[in-house]
Parts: sequence; structure tokens; C-alpha cells
Amino acid sequence: MNAALVVAQAVLLIALAPLLNGVIAALKARLQMRRGAPVWQRYSDLARLFHKESIVSTDASWLARVTPYIALGASLAVATWTPVLLAENGMSFAGDLVMTVALLALVRVLQSLAALEAGTAFGGMAASRHLALSALAEPALMLAAFTLAIAAHSTDLSKISRAVALAPHGWLSPSHLLALAAMWLVVVSETGRVPVDNPVTHLELTMVHEGLVLDYSGRHLALLEWAAAVRQMVLFTLLANLFLPWGIALEPGAAALGTAFAAWGGKLLVFAIAVAITESVTARMRLFRVPEFLGMAFLLSLLALTSDSLLRG
Amino acid sequence: MPLAELDGSLLAAGIWGLAAAALLAALPVRAATGPLSSASRAAIARMLAIAASLALALVGGLGLAGITPAPLEWWPGLPGDPFTLGADALAAPFLMLLGILSAVSFVPKQQGASLALHAGFALALAAAFASQHALLFLLAWEGMTLLSAALVAHDTRSARARRAAFVYLALSQLGSAAMGFGLLRLAALAGSFAFSDLALALGRMAPNDAATIVWLMSAGFIVKLGLVPLHVWLPLAHPEAPAPVSALLSGAMVKAGLYGLLRFGWQMPGAPLMGWGVTLAVLGTLSALVGALYAVVEPDAKRLLAYSTVKHAGLLAMALGVAATLLRAGHVPLAGVALAACMVHMIGHGLSKGLAFFSIGEAVHAAGTRDLEKLGGLARRLPRLSVSALIATLALCGLPPFACFAGEWLLFQALILGFSAGAGVLRLIAPFTAAGLALATALSAAALAKLYGIGFLGRPRSAEAAAAHPAPAAFEWTLIALAILGVAWGLGAPWAVQALASPIAAVIGPGFDAAALAGYGGFTLAIPPATFASISPISVAVLIALFVAIAFAWATVLGYRLPVRRAPSWACGITLNSRMQYSALGLTKPLRLIFKPVLRHEREVEVLEEGSPYFARKYRYRAGVPHIVERIAYQPFVQVVFWASEQARRLQSGSLHLYLAYVLVTLVALLMWAR
Repeated sequence: MNAALVVAQAVLLIALAPLLNGVIAALKARLQMRRGAPVWQRYSDLARLFHKESIVSTDASWLARVTPYIALGASLAVATWTPVLLAENGMSFAGDLVMTVALLALVRVLQSLAALEAGTAFGGMAASRHLALSALAEPALMLAAFTLAIAAHSTDLSKISRAVALAPHGWLSPSHLLALAAMWLVVVSETGRVPVDNPVTHLELTMVHEGLVLDYSGRHLALLEWAAAVRQMVLFTLLANLFLPWGIALEPGAAALGTAFAAWGGKLLVFAIAVAITESVTARMRLFRVPEFLGMAFLLSLLALTSDSLLRG
Repeated sequence: MPLAELDGSLLAAGIWGLAAAALLAALPVRAATGPLSSASRAAIARMLAIAASLALALVGGLGLAGITPAPLEWWPGLPGDPFTLGADALAAPFLMLLGILSAVSFVPKQQGASLALHAGFALALAAAFASQHALLFLLAWEGMTLLSAALVAHDTRSARARRAAFVYLALSQLGSAAMGFGLLRLAALAGSFAFSDLALALGRMAPNDAATIVWLMSAGFIVKLGLVPLHVWLPLAHPEAPAPVSALLSGAMVKAGLYGLLRFGWQMPGAPLMGWGVTLAVLGTLSALVGALYAVVEPDAKRLLAYSTVKHAGLLAMALGVAATLLRAGHVPLAGVALAACMVHMIGHGLSKGLAFFSIGEAVHAAGTRDLEKLGGLARRLPRLSVSALIATLALCGLPPFACFAGEWLLFQALILGFSAGAGVLRLIAPFTAAGLALATALSAAALAKLYGIGFLGRPRSAEAAAAHPAPAAFEWTLIALAILGVAWGLGAPWAVQALASPIAAVIGPGFDAAALAGYGGFTLAIPPATFASISPISVAVLIALFVAIAFAWATVLGYRLPVRRAPSWACGITLNSRMQYSALGLTKPLRLIFKPVLRHEREVEVLEEGSPYFARKYRYRAGVPHIVERIAYQPFVQVVFWASEQARRLQSGSLHLYLAYVLVTLVALLMWAR
């Protein structure tokens, strides 16, 4: 029973990942007084890409062909132990918060290497920006994770979710809210959203994360895009279910699962609205202003930790 | 017990085998072995050294399994106790690591003085780890330094190599002086050189005396471990040595510093001193950050790996310092977790860094240059070697499921749990240590991605790199085997921690059982009790493999399994050349600009030959990143020394009468003082 639930949760997260992108794009279109594409557009894009030919540079080694598969594999592995509907996930023995961050780092390093394979300037540019910004986001992410783990006495995602859900007003503590703010800023940076990066830009000189996939086509590109969508879904789900786990099912049961699904969908919709508004209202910042942005995230998580230790005594 | 005797004879075989190999390689051509040519003598010496190293690795492995050999005794003809060699629980993992790396280091062809020095260096390392006698330990320590300095300076025409050897010797002798003074004073107070007697004497001594001795010895070991600010020799010396020797330097000799800290700073005094742990943790965090940051801006491939060694040495010191602090605060299980992190990472890093130096060193040797700006395209020309290089690079980044991840995970767990459980000092240092560790890991990932991405991928940036030829197949397959060993160490991290239970218990005492860290019979690494977190590297690898298989099947099932087509990279319509790729300098420029307040990189443009008022004919362009520790700590010191010697020159007036007056005054002063 539990194994089936674990598989069902993972499949749900993986299958609905492109839908989140579609919803954000539809909301932006509405805000910008356009008709926009339907929310199912990303699925049609992926289906189209799978049927197209994949071309690899003559200068690329085997790493360029293997990276899309490993990127998708690692992103899906992280999705299996993310608490989606149930707080207690049977797969928590395999990975915790630190392992999640480290697997995302593995995907980042492999994608940066693959971008250097074709020997083009745009790939190198994307790799250099991606490595620099991710290096700065790491300490902020780690400290925010640290704060969460200290409150729950564990880095296990299920335990954290359960601990925050069961604490009566635990989510109102200053350290929790500060950590949430820090984590939001880091998630905006990691998913490549405005103001760090514009995900729909066509200008290669302004690309930070999209430039990594410029040399890919066909099914390899489809796998990389799906992996990016899964990672975005995982990060937003972690924000929803670790910091604001209202409605999450503490025991498996039809009613609890139904509530959990509605709660999860609702929280993701709220995040999608927030992202769409930010993307329509703010402009992307200059590349060398992003370290200040991430420095603010680091400061917020440091404040979260300090307030936690002060209030605990 | 027969196994203990076999173990003892293996240890003897290892030590004497390496000595014989060194002698055989060092013999002059016109020796008694006339019929053998020097090439076949070198080959026999190498085989002997490989066999001896494997014997040492076996001794280490048996020591981890609980079988310690009877101590070997050797009478060197000096008064007092004989030199004793033995592989107790603490020395076993270090001997195992040394044996494996040393065996691989003798596989590539070397001969003559290089081979003799190399075998002597391996022998000194083995003697240092296996020694149970203080004087033998000192001799092995000095031998280690001198022989490796000779290897660092083996290319005597290079001024850079000579300077590297000079700085290395200067700092190492400073450290050895401190360490030797402490050790010999302890031996004098104990009345004997045997390690067991030294431990008893430390326990009986007044706390202040014991503290002085331990701090002195720790200072010496910190130099060898390569912690800031005494690390400046490491990035100078490690790249200049031949690649197999660099692997031994980074993989095994740096761990000798860690061994000394564990043995003389923790095991012998019984418990770490107050402030010892905090000092190590703080210095470790600084070293990790400095090493990672300077690796990011380094254009020389081997020097980049040396800075990465500084970063990982900082991590080891961090783990050891956190363990000591937790023990003093009374949290024995958490101290055990941090110590397990230190030991697991020690072997994981040793294997990965050794593999990195072997493979990348061989690749840059084949390409003819160490400069990353002139490399590139080696992955297509040296396929097997680049696989080993890729695995080593990914492992050194601290990524799961490779060899260096489990130690970092255990250290994070110890920091998090220590923060919530501990009080005082740990509350202060834990967040900064954790943040520093995260930043250092991310920066070193950027640096290593630069190393592999610019050095091996893309198109060759010079004719020599384009003409790179593969190494002999035996060496390439040996490196693949070492890579598999490293990956196995990472995947089997729970079993690895279980195997390291006896060394950890030898240091921390019976209050902690490392086998408790492995859950589900060894599939997961878990912090007891079961309410804390757990990871399972092997499950993660299986999951990733499963999803890769499903993705591959999905792409096939969709029916339109078109073959992948190869085409030249698009260069906006102009002819593709190798200058269009990113360079090493450009790849890390964002990080260099972001960290400008620390790095303070310098750039100088000088016009050498004027042409017209608007275009000069010749420029000189110099750019570089001076090292912060050299700028802050060493240059002022050197300037003071030069100023003092300038002042002392005033005494040298050249007048014979004045010199005679100096002699008279000194004689009178000595006579008055001696009365």
C-alpha cells in the first residue's frame, strides 16, 4: 500500500511538472493582456521534441549524450523522496535534505560540463554564469536547510514536514519566516526566474540557465527540459510542504489524501501567481547585481539561525 | 595466531621490498648487476615496489579487520630500544591508503634517480605510519620531507621548481623543528622512545607541560597537513613533482599530518586539549575557503589540484576540530560521527586525489603543457584516461554517490546535531563552519568543472594538445581500476564506516561504536537513534540507473528512435576555430570579479614600442592573482628580515681593528656571563 503511494506520488510530481510551467505562462499572458498559449503547451512541446532528430557536435564526447539521461535520473530520484501528499515518505531512507542539495549540484556540474562540450562561446558563457551564481546560492540554501533541520532535529524531509505540521504555531516563529524568505530567494535563483534570469529570453547574451541547453536538440533537449521542470516542481513542493505544510496527510487515508492534493495544488497555484506577477512587473537585474541578491538571501538565513538560537535560549 | 604472523611478515615484506627497490634503482650503471641493462633494472625495481606496496595495503586492510601484526624490531646499532614497526588500529587505514596509491604510482615507466627517490619516499611514508618508536618516526618524517623535496626540484633547470623546493623545505623544517622539539622533550621526560611509554608519560605530566608539548607537535603537523597560513608550500611544491609523486604527496603525505594530529594530539594525551578543536575547526574553515577560491582562479592544471588539496585538508581539519570540540563538550556519540566523517573522507579524498593526479598528470604530460589555456579536446584523444579524470573530478567536487560525499554528509549531520545539542563555542562556530563548507564545496566544484571542461572538453587550443597520445594501456586500465575502487568506496559508504570502526574506537574510546552508523545491514548511513536522518548512496545510484533505463526505453518506445547525427558546432557562419571557445580565465571571471575584494587581482599593461600616437607596436601585458596569505602574512615578515639584515650590514665596516674589537667585547661578555 505504502509502496504504491510512494510510486503514485512520484508519478504525480513528474507528470504535473510541465503543467506548472504552463500555468505560470498562462497567468503571465493574462497579466500582459495577451491570449497566450494553453496550459498544456509544454506537453505538446515535449512530444514534438521527442519525435525530432538529435544532433550532437562533432567536438563533443560521450558526456554530451549521457548528461540528459543522468540529469533526468537525478532529478527524478530527488522527486521520489519529496513529501508531496504524505508527510511520511517510504523513500526517506535513501535521501534527505543534504542529499537533495547535493544531487541538484551533481546535475548542475554535469550540465555545465556538457555546455562546454560543443566548444561554442554561448555554452561557455552559460556555464560560467551558472557555476558562479550557483556557488553563491549554496551557502544561503545550506543555512536555510540548517535552520529547518535544527527546529525538527533532523534533516529528513518527512520528519521536518511532520514536525512543522504538528507544531501548533511553529510556522509563525521569526526564524521560520526568515528561512522561508531566504529559501524563496534561493528558489527564484535556482529555477532561473526573474529577477535573476529571464526564462523566455531569446538573446543568448542574457541567458544564464537556458544557455546550457543551446547545443541540444531532439530527445536530449526534451529530457533536459523535463528535468528542469521536475527540479522546479521539487523546489516549489519543498517550499510548500516543508515551510507551510497545512493540509498535508499525516496518515494515508482517502479523505486525508484528497485534502493534501487540494492543499498542494492550492499552494503551487499561489506560488505560480507570485512568480507570474514578479515576472510581469519586475525586470531582470544586471548579472553582477545578483550576488547582492543572493547575499541578501544568505543574510536572511543567518538571521533566521540567530533568532532561532536566541529564542531557544 | 597464524594470521598475525602472516601479517607481520607482510609488513616486513612491504618495508624491506620498498627499501630493496630504492637501492636497486639507485645503483650506478657499472655495478655488480652488470648483465642487466638499466631499463630492465628499473622494471624489476618497479615490480618489487608494486608488490611491496600491495603487501602494505594488505597489512592495512587486515588491521581494519582487527588483525594486528606482532611488532617488527630492527636494531640499528644505537643505544636504547630497537626501532619498532607495527600497524596498530590507528595506523591501519593510513597504511592501506598509502599501499594502494603507492602501488599505482609505480606502474608508469620511471628509472634512475627519480625512481630511487620515489621508492625511498614511499618507504619513508610507510615507516612514518608504521613506526612505534619516536626516533624512527622523526627520521622517517625528515626523510619524507627531504626525499620529496629532491623530487620537487628534479627539473633543476626550472627556477620555479627550485623556488618551490626552497619554500617547501623552509616551511617543512620549521614544522619539523617544532614537532621534533616537542617529541624529543616528551621522550626525554618519559625516559624511553616507545609510543606506549610516551602515552603513559603524557598522562602523568603536569597539565601545562603536556599542553605545551601537544601544541608544539600539533603546529608541526599543521604545516604538513597544509592549513592556512602555513599552506603556501603546497601549491608551489605539488605541481612541480612528477605526476605519480604528486599523487603520493597529495594523497598520502598530507594525511601524515592528519595521522600525527590524531596520534599525538588526541590518542596519546587521552583527550584533546581545550581550544585545540576550535583552533583546528577555524583554521580548517579558512583553509577550505582559501583553497577553493584560489583553485577557481588558477590557470595551471596541477596547481589547481594542489589548491583543491588545501581545501580538502581544511575539511579534514574541520571534521577533526568539530569532533574534538564535541568530545570536550561531553557529546561522545556526535564526536564519533564527526570523527567518522574525518576518517571516511581521508580515504575517499586520498583515492580521488590520487586518481586525479595520476590521470590528469598523465594527460597534461601527453599534451606537453600544464597550462589550461593551451589544453582542450583531450576527452576525444585520450578516451580511457579522460574517463578516470572525469570520475576523479566529480568525486573531488563532493558529489554523490562518489567517494567524497559521505564524509561531508556526516560532518553536516554532526554540525546540525551539535548546534542543537551543544552550548557555548559550538553554537558560535557551527553555522559559520557549515556555511563555509557549503561555499567552499560550491567554489571547488566550479574550479574542478573548469579543470575538466577547459582541459578535456571542446577543441584543442594548441598544436601539442591536438597531438596528445594515449598512455600505455596497462597504466590506463590500472587507473580505471582505481576509479572503480573510489566509486565503490562512495557507494559502499555505510560498509566503509563500519570497516573504520576500530581506528575510530582507538582514538575516541569505547563510548562510541561506528558500526551503529550503518543501518539496514549496511545499505544506509544513518545517525542513531532512528529519528535522525539517513542516506543510502547505493539506493540513490540504483534509482538513478533505473530512471535512466526508463528514460532510454521511453525514447525508444515512442517509436521514432532516430540515430544521433553528428554535425560541426554552429559558429554563426564563420569558420570554426579553437579561439572561439571560452578560456579558463574567462570561465571563472564572474567569480573573480565577485570576490575581487579578497583576490585583488592585478593587471598591468606596458607599452614597449611606440608606433603611431594611437597604436603602439609592442605591448607587455601581465595579469595575476597574488596569494592573499603571502601578501598579508609572509611579505611583511620577509620585509622585516631584509630590513634587519640591512641594519646588520652597518656592522660590516671592513676595518680589521673594529672586528678585533668585536671579538674582544664578545669574549669579555662571555667570560662575565659564565662566571
